[in-house]
Amino acid sequence: MIRIAAVGDMHLDEDVVGRFRPALEELPGCADALLLAGDLTRHGTESEARCVAQEFGGLGVPVITVLGNHDHQCDQVPQVVKVLQDAGITVLEGTGTVLECAGGRLGVAGVKGFGGGFAGRCASDFGEPEMKAFVRTANSRAEALGKALRELDCDLLVALTHYSPVPDTLAGEPLEIYPFLGSYQLGQAIDSAPTALALHGHAHAGTERGTTPGGVRVRNVAHPVIKQAYSVFHLGDQVD
Amino acid sequence: MTEHRGGPPDEYVEAEIHRLLSEDPAVAEQGITVVRRERALVLYGEVESPHRREEILRLVAERFPDVPITSDIGVIRAQAPTEIEQLP
Repeated sequence: MIRIAAVGDMHLDEDVVGRFRPALEELPGCADALLLAGDLTRHGTESEARCVAQEFGGLGVPVITVLGNHDHQCDQVPQVVKVLQDAGITVLEGTGTVLECAGGRLGVAGVKGFGGGFAGRCASDFGEPEMKAFVRTANSRAEALGKALRELDCDLLVALTHYSPVPDTLAGEPLEIYPFLGSYQLGQAIDSAPTALALHGHAHAGTERGTTPGGVRVRNVAHPVIKQAYSVFHLGDQVD
Repeated sequence: MTEHRGGPPDEYVEAEIHRLLSEDPAVAEQGITVVRRERALVLYGEVESPHRREEILRLVAERFPDVPITSDIGVIRAQAPTEIEQLP
């Protein structure tokens, strides 16, 4: 069995530092890894990233993250990534990593992802340059996720994104904003590999549970959705 | 800019508050819902600290001093989970 803790959308700044830490200190006793589903910061500044490093660094379990749209706001992504990496946090963007856990090898592939909408109601690569750029961004990030997932050699495969791969976990959000909350291409990428679980954030008013068309379980771990410091999932009894 | 003259808040005020809360660097909250009631606007949602809730109310009151605002914004709990989810 592999134990995964996960949360997203913590939007840290100085005013939040210390709120998560007491619960995080319990992680070594209840999880093999902590996965963060993006929007770690409010505006994506280097100083906010230092707040993330302070709160989520040195936990005694590996921490793996993707960035979210908020983490891009101030165009300081390289500085944010460096601060996180210096704190021992693995940052994924179209890449993957494998952790040796007591219950087997946990593979995590991650990407921020992008909007675009869901099958039959999505944006198309057609028309103005701005619309084409929007859709091509969604396509390329999903393709990177699929490739990263398929390349990992592990016992249990998890996909980590900020944007949602399915509409199921958006239930509660206004239908009109679904195209800004995720894209079906991410789900297609997840279904292209033997993925056991897909975790995402971004949809604060969404719901926790869904599945991809291929049957992969999807969990929205946005902090406003789970309403606790993190959720814990036990997976893969068969690999014990 | 929508000028508000004391009547019931209109749809443009609602839209402007929504964008203000998302785009103002001091707030940057995309998860606040603005609901029009008969004589007031109600702000719903959850934020990460009491300070952020105060900032939201201060910003909206500053920009729309004549609009009656009711706040129902909560601070998200951050305790350790008490249950795990078992997946196959």
